Amino acid sequence: MRSFVNPLFAVILAGVLAACSSTPTEQDTSATDTSGMDSQTGTTQPVERPESTRPDTSSVPLTADNFHNHPSNYDGTTDTRVIYFAFDSNTVPAAAFETLRAHATYLKNNANAKLRLEGHADERGTREYNVALSERRAQAVQKFLRVQGVSSSQLEVVSYGEEKPAAFGHSEMDWAKNRRVELNYVSGRP
Amino acid sequence: MKRLILALVLATLTVAARAELLIKVTEGRVDAVPIAIVPFDGDNEAPEQVSAIVEADLHRSGQFKPLPVKNMLSRPHTKDAIIYRDFRVLGQEYLVIGHTKPRDDGRYEVTYGLYDVGRQRELFSESYSPTKAQLRDVAHAISDRIYEELTGIPGAFSTKILYVTHNRGAKLPYQLQYADADGHRVKTILSSGEPIMSPSWSPDGSKIAYVSFENNGKPNIYVHDLASGQRSVVSRERGINGAPSWSPDGQRLVITLSKDGNPELYMVNVSGGGLTRLTDNYGIDTEARWMPDGEHVVFTSSRSGGPQIYMLNVNDRSARRVSFEGNYNARPDVTPDGRYLVYVHRRNGSFNVGVQDLQRGTFDIVTQTNMDESPSVAPNGSMVIYGTQRRGTGVLEAVSIDGRVKVELPSKEGEVREPAWSPFL
Repeated sequence: MRSFVNPLFAVILAGVLAACSSTPTEQDTSATDTSGMDSQTGTTQPVERPESTRPDTSSVPLTADNFHNHPSNYDGTTDTRVIYFAFDSNTVPAAAFETLRAHATYLKNNANAKLRLEGHADERGTREYNVALSERRAQAVQKFLRVQGVSSSQLEVVSYGEEKPAAFGHSEMDWAKNRRVELNYVSGRP
Repeated sequence: MKRLILALVLATLTVAARAELLIKVTEGRVDAVPIAIVPFDGDNEAPEQVSAIVEADLHRSGQFKPLPVKNMLSRPHTKDAIIYRDFRVLGQEYLVIGHTKPRDDGRYEVTYGLYDVGRQRELFSESYSPTKAQLRDVAHAISDRIYEELTGIPGAFSTKILYVTHNRGAKLPYQLQYADADGHRVKTILSSGEPIMSPSWSPDGSKIAYVSFENNGKPNIYVHDLASGQRSVVSRERGINGAPSWSPDGQRLVITLSKDGNPELYMVNVSGGGLTRLTDNYGIDTEARWMPDGEHVVFTSSRSGGPQIYMLNVNDRSARRVSFEGNYNARPDVTPDGRYLVYVHRRNGSFNVGVQDLQRGTFDIVTQTNMDESPSVAPNGSMVIYGTQRRGTGVLEAVSIDGRVKVELPSKEGEVREPAWSPFL
């Protein structure tokens, strides 16, 4: 029973603190009333603190549409080895930048490390055309790493099209998981 | 009484064996020609039921409607025993009878005749002496002969198909298969832990070219001699090595390479060497197929945005766009007369096989499933075999060029895809 008290108290306290710090009270209405801005001069306006820019992964539903940009796919370290792409796109998603920079740093610090960028497509469309499309994805990742200063001799592109799916179903979510570039270290694995 | 029971048991066995061979014709022509193929005398004792194979072949063409054996009023095996009236009353136009008899030397004697029921006369008869292993070949040769006699078009039942299978979980999941056009007598000619793609036949059917990733996971183009199993690497450039297509003179391949950063078409000698670049633009150029004239190739290009079909003159390298319906047209093949292009067309998110008549300028969708791919035309131009999905797995189907006949091929284990129909052999 006692174990319940402390967390409960903590939640209540957090709620009270939150109310004090950011939520305007009834008495402040004149200050937050936008119509006041026209008629009055020389008064101060409270400014709300900006929310944290780090996305809260748990609150973003993981859907096929946002899969390529979902924060849970990228941890900002070299542990993450798959970059996902939007449908019909070969643009490296912004959410993957931090992870790719970590790989770039690692590669620059380890000249013996060699990375193979393996491009993949979902099953829709013709096979050889998909090989070409997925090569463009791998090339986009290659270009990103080159811009970060990685030597071209440490990078290799192979394109598999739809031939090596990661997910074998036929739903939008399966396709989202298959539109990807896999980062495979062929030597000097971190 | 005992004899009657034995006869009944045998009859039941016959029906069961036949049902297994039958291929599902999902859509047939209403004007399919009624033909009675009487089970050949001795077929039940032979290792292959020749008449049943002929029946399945003709049925699968969609041009014929074989009479179910159980409906036959009489089952003659010789010309003298034919009662034409028995077949006329059932609306039959043609009749096939014959026998398969073992010979003393271990071979078989297969003799058959084709009869015109209305005119009550023999059209022709033939005799073969195959080994046991050749019985299916003889059956397909009979189907070819009957088909040509009655339609004026050479039959393609004696031809072969190549296709790729993927069995997830197998040690070597990717396999290149070689089979009769009816899907029987499958032989695995290559097994690999890495993908195999884009099989293409030499014009004489003796060799094939394909892409295999077996070398360290990278794509190489191989030329493979079917009789000896010997092969050689024709291309292993950096980047994509893809989509080989054999020239009609058998000397060259058009292939796709991205060694200069972007997928372009190249021409290369079958023996290797003589690499010549054919295209040069920022779009994707791939999936080339030679036209029968040996001067042009059709291919997929994204030079105008999405994929469209273009035709390239390999001599002066001029290219013109030929597909204009919709925003996704890719992976063309061409009929042997060069009149029709078949390719994958996307409409409302669904991928289907479309047929473009280059003479009349018309375009028709001929399939209704939604993941159709890799259409390949039969050497007599009658049918197109393609890959599609049924119950979540890759299967092969065939459709006539006019879309009026549709056939499901017997399903195999695992994913089946990328069929390539052989030339006449």
